[in-house]
Parts: sequence; structure tokens; C-alpha cells
Amino acid sequence: MTWLDYPTYLLLATVFWSMALIMLLTPNKSVFHMLKGVFLVLGWVAIITFTIGLWISLERPPFRTLAETRLWYGVFIASIGIVLFYRWKLPLMLAYTIIMALLFLFLNYLNPDTFDKTLMPALQSPWFIPHVVVYIVGYAFLGFSSLIGVWGLYLYYKGQDVERVMLMADNIVYIGFAFLTFGLLFGALWAKEAWGHYWTWDPKETWAFLTWLAYLLYIHFRLKKKQSPKTALWIVSVAFMILLICWFGINYLPSAQSSVHVYSS
Amino acid sequence: MSKNKPEKKLKSRLWQFPWGYKESYLVAFFLLLTGFLIQLIVGGGIRMPGWPVNIAIIIIFIIYFILIHYLVKHPIVRWLSSTQAAIASVTAFTLMVLLLGFIPQGATEEPGLIDSLGLTHVTSSWPYLMSALYLLVVLGFTIVRRFKSFTIKNIAFNLNHIGLWIVVVAASLGSSDMWILKTQLEKKHPSVTAYDGSGKAFNMGFGMMLLDFNIEEYPAQVGIMRNDDYTLMIEKGGKLATIEEGTTEEIENFILSFEKYIPFAGKVEDHYDTTSLSGGARAAYIKVQDAQGNDLAEGWVADGSYNVPGSYLMINNEFSVAMTMPRPKKYSSDIRVYHTMEEYKDYHIEVNKPVKIEGWKVYQVGYDESMGRWSEKSIIELVRDPWLPAVYTGIFMILFGTLYLLWMGKGRTKTKKA
Repeated sequence: MTWLDYPTYLLLATVFWSMALIMLLTPNKSVFHMLKGVFLVLGWVAIITFTIGLWISLERPPFRTLAETRLWYGVFIASIGIVLFYRWKLPLMLAYTIIMALLFLFLNYLNPDTFDKTLMPALQSPWFIPHVVVYIVGYAFLGFSSLIGVWGLYLYYKGQDVERVMLMADNIVYIGFAFLTFGLLFGALWAKEAWGHYWTWDPKETWAFLTWLAYLLYIHFRLKKKQSPKTALWIVSVAFMILLICWFGINYLPSAQSSVHVYSS
Repeated sequence: MSKNKPEKKLKSRLWQFPWGYKESYLVAFFLLLTGFLIQLIVGGGIRMPGWPVNIAIIIIFIIYFILIHYLVKHPIVRWLSSTQAAIASVTAFTLMVLLLGFIPQGATEEPGLIDSLGLTHVTSSWPYLMSALYLLVVLGFTIVRRFKSFTIKNIAFNLNHIGLWIVVVAASLGSSDMWILKTQLEKKHPSVTAYDGSGKAFNMGFGMMLLDFNIEEYPAQVGIMRNDDYTLMIEKGGKLATIEEGTTEEIENFILSFEKYIPFAGKVEDHYDTTSLSGGARAAYIKVQDAQGNDLAEGWVADGSYNVPGSYLMINNEFSVAMTMPRPKKYSSDIRVYHTMEEYKDYHIEVNKPVKIEGWKVYQVGYDESMGRWSEKSIIELVRDPWLPAVYTGIFMILFGTLYLLWMGKGRTKTKKA
């Protein structure tokens, strides 16, 4: 299975997930409402099938290029959305995660990767998969927290109580931050083995560290009680911007042209 | 009159204890300002002191935290371990790292204000040092204050905070004790010399010699090349075809049949043949048809080496078939290390798999790329970092502390009912 087969699976996922989202709007007791879980899972299966097929056909883990990481982001954020939906009954969050997942998957349709099977020697390491996976899981959680932030801001400016939203944001940020920390430290341990030093201020490292600092600020800011939630909500929304620069923007930054993490060429 | 009241209250409050956000941020601002001023006046980059000055600084630092914490009962000490001070110091530090993230680092051709402010070498600039010191002092006082009780929550807190302090201090103050040397190994010529970043030679204290250099490459691939600018059409979803004798592949609406493939080829007049000489290229005899099956062209395509010329196959005025340069999948060296003239030991080093030799970590970093798979040279790097155990201790402390974070979250999931 290669990226040539991708449109089929994307279409399947889009159809199944759209059905699920429409069913979400039907009354609680209706048959359609009950059925949505089936369609959620079907859409998920379509994407995961493609991902596994791609892995097999590439003969290397598909964790290297931007399109490959976007694919995983789609898989993880949809998974998290579905699990959290059944855990906490958050229809809006489910809709968001599914739409975000589809958005990222659709980006891959517009910008497919080249059919590059090669993996440079420096990436051939047991650290490769854990390093990328923990980051992507972290990104998925933090992306989710930023939406909670935006939603919280909306409620705040409407004059509603946001404490429940804040607590949810806190817990999601803690989980995402933990994964981000793992990604950063695994990266350091790997870099020592691959390049001889655990930290070289490579632009990707710098931006990953900045992302970490931004969420560190959020966590510490939230420690003080009786604080206006507005600032905290802004921090969590803006922190995600830094995360996006680290993930995508880095390829366009003049300061990052010599980065060892730019694998696009 | 009543209108002016709040302002007055605010003014008289500033710098009055206990300090809050305003004071913490003002301190950050003055520290950065001082840093930039020193940088403007002094110029250049800061070089961290080496052993034993760095360890002395660390010990004095720790004693200073403990003594001040227990002996000085001034509200400023209390403020130094406050959340507000923590947030302000992290903000100041983040600001410096943001500058590092946006401004290309390294020497510029025409030094301007950005250089004078130290922003082209942020990590060795005075404002960066000031912000890092602010962070480390606040972190230090926070650790000392929280070090008393050993509940699980506090242990996780200590692991994260002490771990971070150790990592930052050991990585920055230890940096000047680190050695990074490079050397090029050749067969039959033992070498005892390695060179640092500035080209200065050092005696390693032992000899090294290349026994064998091994390289494994990815299979040869061909693509469709534009004749006008010699670029391959692989962007935006294009693809390359992997050569396998007897197979057919379709790319960019051309059908390529790989009739013959020679992994080690020499050029004989106008065709390629198997060679046993050094520097053999990869060559394939390819037949090109259009989508309807009409023959368009056939001939040899080769990547070429230092010894054998490459070839591409013209399909028409617009396009050709060309082979990509070989890409290494794996490379490694077998090396012999002479501890004395008679006493030696053999090692195998590979990318991502360094070995330890007499206190050095030895890395495979490169080879003679102009010779490709025929390289007779292996470039290796020797790294000695005496502070590494300290940094790793810090890293693992944070890893364990983070596991707790992951498990517990913030520890509060329900809203308190009023």
C-alpha cells in the first residue's frame, strides 16, 4: 500500500466519520445515535489500515516525513477524541478531534509525500519510534488542550463559569506536557548516541524546548489560586502556536535552514 | 479626589513586601537590561570556566542557597521561591530562547546591532546568562524550601525540580570540560592524532587504524529528469522507480523496462559491462515506452563514480531517465586500537552505535563521500564529557518525576462545590 491508495482510505474515513458526526446531532435515544460508535470505529479502522499498509510497503516505520507524522497525528487525535468522548461525554470535543483529524489527513491529500523508502543511517536506531510517538501523542493532547482554551475563552467572554473547563485543560496539559518531556529527553539520550552530544541547540531542539517552556509557564501560572482564568486560557492557546512552529513552521524559518531535523529534501 | 485613589494605592504598593508579579517581572526586566548593557560594553561571547572553578561555583551556589534559606528571614528570600518569581524567570528565559529560535545563529558578514547585543550567539551572551541565573536562583530556593517533607507528591516535585537544576547547571558549567575531537582513519596507517573544532592537533594517547570500511547502499533508483534544468520530477507526489532486472515500472506516464542491471559496472566504449576494478558504477539498460506501448527510447543509465562516467537516457527534447546518486543505508568501520605498540584491540563502530575506548566515546561520523562505497577513509569523532553522569542523573530524575505527573495529572479532577 502506498500513498497512491491514500485517497480511497481518506474517502472511507471521511464518509464514516461524517456519518458519525451527523448521528451525534440526532436525539439521544434514537437508533442512529447509538450507531455512531460503529461509524467512528469504521473510520478509524480505514485510517489505521492504510497506516499499517504504508508501514509494510515502505519497509521502515512511517515516522520520518511531515506527511507521515500528520498521518499519525490524525490517528492519535481521533483515538483520543473517541476515548475521551466515551469517558467524559464531550460531544463538542469529539466533533473537534474528528474534524482536526480529517483536516490533517486532508492536508496529506493535498501534499502527498514522495515515495521515499530511504532512511538515513542516523535515523536507524531503536530510539526512532519512541521519540516520534511520544511527541505525536503529546501534540495530540496539547492540540486538544488548546481547543479547550479557545472554548474556555469563548465561555469567559460570554460571562459563563469556566472552572470546569480550566480543570479539564489542566489535566490534559499535564498529560501532554509529560509526553513532551519524554520526547525531549528521549531525543537528548538518542542524540548522545547518534551525534555525540545530547544538546546542540539545533533549531528543532530549540523550538521543542520553547514549546516545553510555554506549557511550563501555563502549569506554574495555574498553581496560584484566585487567578483570572483569562490569562491562563490565552497562554494555553498561544502555546500551541509555538508547538506548530516547532512542527511545521521550522521548515520556513531562516534560522532553521541548517537544522539536522529538516528531512524534506 | 476619589478618582486618584486607586492609582496612589498601586504606586505605594510597588516594591512593598510581599512581592508579586509586578516586582518579579521588573526584576526580570532589569536583569535583561543589565545583561544587554554588559554585552554592549564588553562584547564577545562568555566562555564558561573549566574544572575545578566550575565545581567550586556549583558548591558555593548550593551552600549559598542553604545558608540563606535558613539564616536570612527577609521577605526577599521568601519571594525568591515564589510562583510569581518562577513565572517571571521562566518568561525571561523563554524570551531569550525565542530570540535564539528566530535569529540565525553564527557569525554574520556585516556585524550590526544584533551582533553587538549578542543575539547571534545567544547561548554565550550576557542577557542569556542573566536570565538563566535568575531561573537557577529561583529554582534553587524553591528546591531548598520544599526539600523538607517527603510525601510522594513532594518526591515527584523534587525529582523534577532538582533534576532540572542539575541538568541545566551540569550542561552549561560542564560544557568547557567537554572534548570533541575528529580524525580521519586510513588503512595501514595508525594515527595518534585527532583535531578539535579549530583544527588544533591533540595526541589521543593511543593509536588507531582503519581495518575495513563497510557501506551498504539503498537499491539504485531512476527518475524522470527535466532536460532544461536537470531536476528530477519527484516533488508533489512524483515518484522514483527502483531498478530490478526484468521488471517494469510506470512513472510520470512513461513505462520503464529494466532489461539488465549491473551493480559494479565499467564503461566500455558506448556500453557498460561488469568490472572488478575499484570504482564500479551502477548501470542499467532501460527501455522506455509511452502509455500506449510505443517505443520511445532505449539505452544505458548509470550513476557514475570517481572512476566511471555516468549516463542518462534522453526520451525526448523535454525529458530523460536519470539515476539518483547512491544513498547509504548503513556504514561502519572496523578499527584497530593500539594501546601500546604490541597490545591492540579491534572494535566495530557504526552510526548510532558508538564504542567506549579509554574514556572516550568514539563515533562513526563520515567517510570520503567523493569515493562513495569505495571510500578508503573513515571519519570518526571522539567525545569526552566528564559531566555526562551528572546530566544523565538529572535527565533520569526528570523522567521519573514526569511519570508521576502523567499518572496523577494535576491531582484534582472535580470542581469544589461552593
